[in-house]
Amino acid sequence: MDYFLQQAMNAFSLGGEYALLALGLAIVFSVMGLVNFAHGELITVGGYAMFFAVLIFGVKNPFLILPVGVLAAILFALLLERVAFRPVRAAPPTTGMLMAFGVSIILQNSALLFVGTRPKAVPTAEWLMFDLNFGSLRIPVVQLLETGITVLAIMLLVVFMRRTTIGMAMRAAAKDFSTVRLMGIRANRVVSTAFAISGLLAGLAAVFIMARRGAVDPFMGFTPVLKAFVAAVVGGFGSLPGAVIGGFALGIAEVALQAALPSSVAGFRDAFIFSAIAVLLLFRPQGILGERPDFGEKT
Amino acid sequence: MLKASSISVNYGPIKAVRNVNIEVEKGDVVALLGPNGAGKSSLLSSLIGLVPKNSGNVIFDNQEAGRASTEDLIRRGMSVTPEGRRIFGDLTVGENLRLGAAIRKDNDGIAEDIEKFLDLFPILRKRFNSAARYLSGGEQQMLAISRSLMSRPKLLMLDEPSLGLAPRIVDQIFEFLVTLRQWGLTLLIVEQNASEVLEFADRAYVLSTGSIVFSGTANELKKSGGVMEMYLGLEGH
Repeated sequence: MDYFLQQAMNAFSLGGEYALLALGLAIVFSVMGLVNFAHGELITVGGYAMFFAVLIFGVKNPFLILPVGVLAAILFALLLERVAFRPVRAAPPTTGMLMAFGVSIILQNSALLFVGTRPKAVPTAEWLMFDLNFGSLRIPVVQLLETGITVLAIMLLVVFMRRTTIGMAMRAAAKDFSTVRLMGIRANRVVSTAFAISGLLAGLAAVFIMARRGAVDPFMGFTPVLKAFVAAVVGGFGSLPGAVIGGFALGIAEVALQAALPSSVAGFRDAFIFSAIAVLLLFRPQGILGERPDFGEKT
Repeated sequence: MLKASSISVNYGPIKAVRNVNIEVEKGDVVALLGPNGAGKSSLLSSLIGLVPKNSGNVIFDNQEAGRASTEDLIRRGMSVTPEGRRIFGDLTVGENLRLGAAIRKDNDGIAEDIEKFLDLFPILRKRFNSAARYLSGGEQQMLAISRSLMSRPKLLMLDEPSLGLAPRIVDQIFEFLVTLRQWGLTLLIVEQNASEVLEFADRAYVLSTGSIVFSGTANELKKSGGVMEMYLGLEGH
């Protein structure tokens, strides 16, 4: 029972991380049709910001280091939108995608050049890695926080999308951006808000990733975002509830297989998961909650 | 209210609008008529800034408006009910109306205006919290017009408000437009369905292959049998 609960916590915190990242990808895609492959760099930038905060400014207080990571990811997302994606917004979608790859390569190599190839240790809060004991059950604080904050962030996002004018505009823009402009709502504001939210979610994920790894390296954003991309596709690309479901489903599947598979085949975990996803997509190419493209209507 | 001179719109080599002049006086209802593909929608889109103009000047409300962005023009008092209604189908009826008032900050006034339209169209009240895509075509058109009025515009431009609707619904929509005229709104109505608009329009322009082929009062147009027959497929008097 304890083992099961412990694994369940693992699954939820990993699923939460994927969900946060998948949501960020989905929100940008739904508003402007851009698959932001530079999303992983938001995590990297958040990580390096925390590293520099400790190294240069000697920030020791973990309550200050963590917000630095989140804030850096938000600001960097806004900067990316402004200098990289806004100039090519009117161009075909492939241009935006190539731009994202370009940005990604430039950033990774800047980190290699100016900081170094080796992972750099970042002393995050030790209390994050502390275990809480519930009887014989031991759960690291970071897992509880990660699950809790993910759930909180998703709930706040739902309220934001439903109650605020800009949130409603973002939902409307997912289907029909030009009519949103006809309401007098500035396109730039809708797009920047989408990027800011994706930055915030990536920043939260970055903090937890850092807490677990304890170090930054130039490619740390790659794997999590690759998984998040898969999660978003499984959920239905561009669907926000789909991103959450896909994220948690992937996290749970990974942990469950890790626990259930005999050690001789556990190394093939991802192969099992991706095969299952391939089969799912054969029957539901639009993902769990995605909508089939509508070919009927005149636009 | 609106004065557009020598407007041209090209899509690559295709000249959709050629050197068009139109003028809409405050309080007037002006019809912009013409067959399918005459350039009416392109002209409207260029006036609202959704499509770039290749040449021409626009004065709106005594200010230069030829280069302003769509968002700014809406903020300055233009509004459009787009062709095909373009309601936000995933959003509720209420959210559609709220977004129509996105440029306003007076929450009490917004709530009042919403009430006003819900009184005018009780079906919208009944469906207030359901997704707008479940409304019928006519109901969607009523929502679309209400939404475009939520910004309290000085000039409302309607692009084919009768398109794809049953005759009974079309009558209802035009009745509503007559009400808007009584409220003192200035209207520019793009239509293929000329006969009904000419019942209550003050002035009319007829567009054909991108050029104005008639401009004058609605009565003059009704009397000019040649234009009516040739461009609008209607019997003149």
